[in-house]
Amino acid sequence: MDPERYERVQRLFHDAVDLPEAERGAFLARACGDDAELAAQVSKMIDTDARRQILDRDLAEVAGPLFAGGRATPDQVGPYKITKLLGEGGMGVVYAAVREDLGSVAAVKVLRDAWVSPERRDRFAAEQRTLAQLNHPHIARLYDAGAFPDGTPWIVMEYVDGVPLTEYCRTHAHSIVERLRLFRDVCDAVQHAHRHLVLHRDLKPSNILVTEDGQVKLLDFGIAKQLENLDTPAAATLTGLRLMTPVYASPERLRGAAARIDADVYSLGVILYELLAGQLPFEVANRTPGEVEAAILGPDPTRPSVVARRDSSRPAASNATWADIDVLCLTAMHRDPERRYATVDALGRDIDRFLKGEPLEARPDAFGYRFGKLLRRRRREVAGAAVVFLVVAGLIAFYTVRLTVARNDALTNLTRAQRIQHFMLNLFAGGDPEAGPSADLRVATLVDRGAQEARSLASEPAVQADLYQTLGSIYQKLGNFERSDELLREALARRQALNGLTGSAGPDVAETLTSRALLFSDKAQFDEAERLAREALATARAQLPDADPTVVRALVALGKVQSDRGKYDDAVATLDEAVRLQTAANAEPQERASSLYELASAHFYAGHYDQSEVQNQQALALYKQVYGDKHPLVSDCLINLGAIQYERGKYPDAERYYREGIAITEAWFGRDHYQTAANLTMLARVLNRTPERQVEARAVLGEALAIRERVYGPDHPKVASTVNELGAVALGAGRLDEAEQYFLRVVAIYRKVHGDAHYQTGIGLSNLASTYMAQKKFAQAERLFREALVIYTRTLPATHTNIGIARIKLGRTLLRQQRYTEAAAESLGGYDILKPQMDPGVSWLKSARTDLIEAYEALKQPDQAARFKAEQTAIAK
Amino acid sequence: MSRRPPQDAPDPHREALDLQFSHAYEELRRLASAVKRSDPNATLTPTTLVNEAWVKLAKSPQFVATSKLHFKRIAARAMRQVLIEAARRRHADKRGYDAVFVTFDDAIDVAAASTSDDLLALDRALTELARLNPRQAALVESRFFGGLDVAELTTLLGVSEATVLRDWRAARAWLATELGA
Repeated sequence: MDPERYERVQRLFHDAVDLPEAERGAFLARACGDDAELAAQVSKMIDTDARRQILDRDLAEVAGPLFAGGRATPDQVGPYKITKLLGEGGMGVVYAAVREDLGSVAAVKVLRDAWVSPERRDRFAAEQRTLAQLNHPHIARLYDAGAFPDGTPWIVMEYVDGVPLTEYCRTHAHSIVERLRLFRDVCDAVQHAHRHLVLHRDLKPSNILVTEDGQVKLLDFGIAKQLENLDTPAAATLTGLRLMTPVYASPERLRGAAARIDADVYSLGVILYELLAGQLPFEVANRTPGEVEAAILGPDPTRPSVVARRDSSRPAASNATWADIDVLCLTAMHRDPERRYATVDALGRDIDRFLKGEPLEARPDAFGYRFGKLLRRRRREVAGAAVVFLVVAGLIAFYTVRLTVARNDALTNLTRAQRIQHFMLNLFAGGDPEAGPSADLRVATLVDRGAQEARSLASEPAVQADLYQTLGSIYQKLGNFERSDELLREALARRQALNGLTGSAGPDVAETLTSRALLFSDKAQFDEAERLAREALATARAQLPDADPTVVRALVALGKVQSDRGKYDDAVATLDEAVRLQTAANAEPQERASSLYELASAHFYAGHYDQSEVQNQQALALYKQVYGDKHPLVSDCLINLGAIQYERGKYPDAERYYREGIAITEAWFGRDHYQTAANLTMLARVLNRTPERQVEARAVLGEALAIRERVYGPDHPKVASTVNELGAVALGAGRLDEAEQYFLRVVAIYRKVHGDAHYQTGIGLSNLASTYMAQKKFAQAERLFREALVIYTRTLPATHTNIGIARIKLGRTLLRQQRYTEAAAESLGGYDILKPQMDPGVSWLKSARTDLIEAYEALKQPDQAARFKAEQTAIAK
Repeated sequence: MSRRPPQDAPDPHREALDLQFSHAYEELRRLASAVKRSDPNATLTPTTLVNEAWVKLAKSPQFVATSKLHFKRIAARAMRQVLIEAARRRHADKRGYDAVFVTFDDAIDVAAASTSDDLLALDRALTELARLNPRQAALVESRFFGGLDVAELTTLLGVSEATVLRDWRAARAWLATELGA
């Protein structure tokens, strides 16, 4: 059975199931032909459709019996008879037991939440026997281990009659020295185990018992590891969580790294802190494990000396003593394994020195780092994560990060973003968040460095792929399309290779495809862009529900590509769906803003200015909410709103919006950036509308053109757009030959990129025609205007302003050739289109009125002429 | 330092997804046991368990940006896991026991044994269905194990109510043939 066949079976099922019984047989025979198996399958389904089955029952009813029983106390475990319940812990239940043949007592721990399959039972027992060889006065002996028939593991160990270390210290050991002596015994025990290559992995006070006469006994060595190896798949992930009490777990363990010696050292450090400061280093009460984890990965804990000063019941000791205690504790539990005691032995020796009054080996140091050094250390610890931090650093520096490494739905980037942000703040300025990044850490440098680091991660392809993806997206934003393409291709190749191992295309492949689609759209290679966007969408949809952000992002990318290539109806439909999905799924504000923004753009290009304005305002509000007022995305919305005002002829409003937007992007990206170029071009357009400001416009445009040519190459629509504006300036200034050259270039570029399938080609033609008009080459102008109109009519809605403008221009051409009837028809047509959408004082409408008056007077239609004369006078007021 | 072998290397990106699932799983198990211990006759409805788990977990960092609907989806998957594990243990019981080791006070529950078989078979069939039609598998898992209603399913899967009902009917029929066969 494969998916296609299943699809077929289903369809037949739906068609046949509600037919009357008599007809069914015949229908199936017809539909299935020779495929008797198919017919049989469908028939069976029709049968079961009518019958009641497990899925119809209440889950409670189904599952109830499973939970009955099984919690009862066992009587006997091997040669041990259970006598009483001692207690319940996170891992299991502990009973006291007696060995009848020898008369000795033991403790039996039943790990009731774990399960060992029959195949693994022998191995489990063997592993426990190895642990049983740990023979040390301060380690509780392990005697035996096995599993019940139902798979529940049990462990028999030395019976220890004692209380947890912290409790013992509270009642019996008050001075620092006494506590340190006990702690020294603990270190001895752990060190012994380490020498025998056994890590504890879950050190905490409840695992350290002290008997009435002050004997320390450690319990549960290595159990955590054992349980990790059990069969239940969930257990593997869970043991990490459940067994680790977060506050005693080292940061690298919490981040998923494998346990090492220094993880045990960390736990010991926390315990030491607790013993000497009298409280935990991180607040635990009333916090979820997740919150505790966040605290551990966050700021440094308060020094024990500070804590002690606050608490008057703390033993008095000299400042020097407390200083040393600070060093002991904080070095033992240092967040960075490099700065911790490397072995328990080292910790133990420093404690010995302290007790003897000798200087410690560990040095109190400022907890800041030189940038490069930290990078090298971090790299080993959590592989690529640090390098990702590095790369994102440039963005983080402005405290508004939007991770472009997006994952599937269940993952929220929130906690990770917070962690990264915090880490980076510390990284940059030694922990002072107000200081900001140092001047030589420019984004580009960081990104380049990040790319270098990424290359060295060949052994961790998944992380490397993510890194390349992030870097690729950042390069795209920086306008370096070559590098971006390179890296995204690398990311895709790696991800596909990884997915090749599992045989499926994962959502991360979809993300990379989406990024590439957007990149190609930026490069104006629209066929490829659309193909990639559709592939991204299909890949995402295959694995994820429709409302998943990855799917929506692919959808938005497709909409953007469709919009970029002029298919506005399609774009609006696609983006409408994206917005709908996000609203239903309660997506994050910045995600919704992104789709609204694209939708607004699509509406804009399609000429639906009112809708575009509303959606732009919505997107603007959302972006401001998330990023504050000074973010490039906010600027994008402002520029769009400016563009809308421009199209409506409201030039002062447009200029205001543009300048606001430019101020933001200039501050953010610098002057020499393609984003700035884009915004400058828009500003120039507005300036050009006013004769006195045309010189200013030209200067602004020259700058913009230079930037764009550098970024996009000579044949790109964005370059054309700027050249177009230069042409308009030249035309307005009467430099006709210059204008003609500019517009010829515009047409050439658009024809190269779009052919005749995009209205932008029409604009080029129309503007060139205007030049010919000015040169009195009316017949040529007419030809080009008509060509432009053909393109417009094919690619734009009938009421689009471009069509109106073109018809008015055509009308003037005809007027100059004294073809009055035709002229009036065109001018009127254009006028009717523009009038409802534009400010009445706009030049186009003025020109149309003037032309119509002239035409009607020539045609001897005074009434018509009068109508427009009246309008003219009214406007003049 | 020696290089870590590949299978030990953590994938920080699955980590958070696993974390969410694990938290949900753990909470559900805990609740399930708590319910049984306090009242052996209490019925476990998935809706109650999931709601209780949600109340507990909604504020934690892993879930703070998750919608309740989405949580229910994760919880459904976790619930399935909880039950399948319990079923596996019961299943193992049936294979007889080593007389040397242990006896439990309670006799093995016959009803439980056949239920566990059913659930294990359902689990296998669902895994197969996920290969053939992932959306239907997600639908069944969410509905049966998570107690999501039709309205929630339409939102979760982004399809119409008619599609949900249609899919349910076909998936249910197919699964039943797999289980009965």
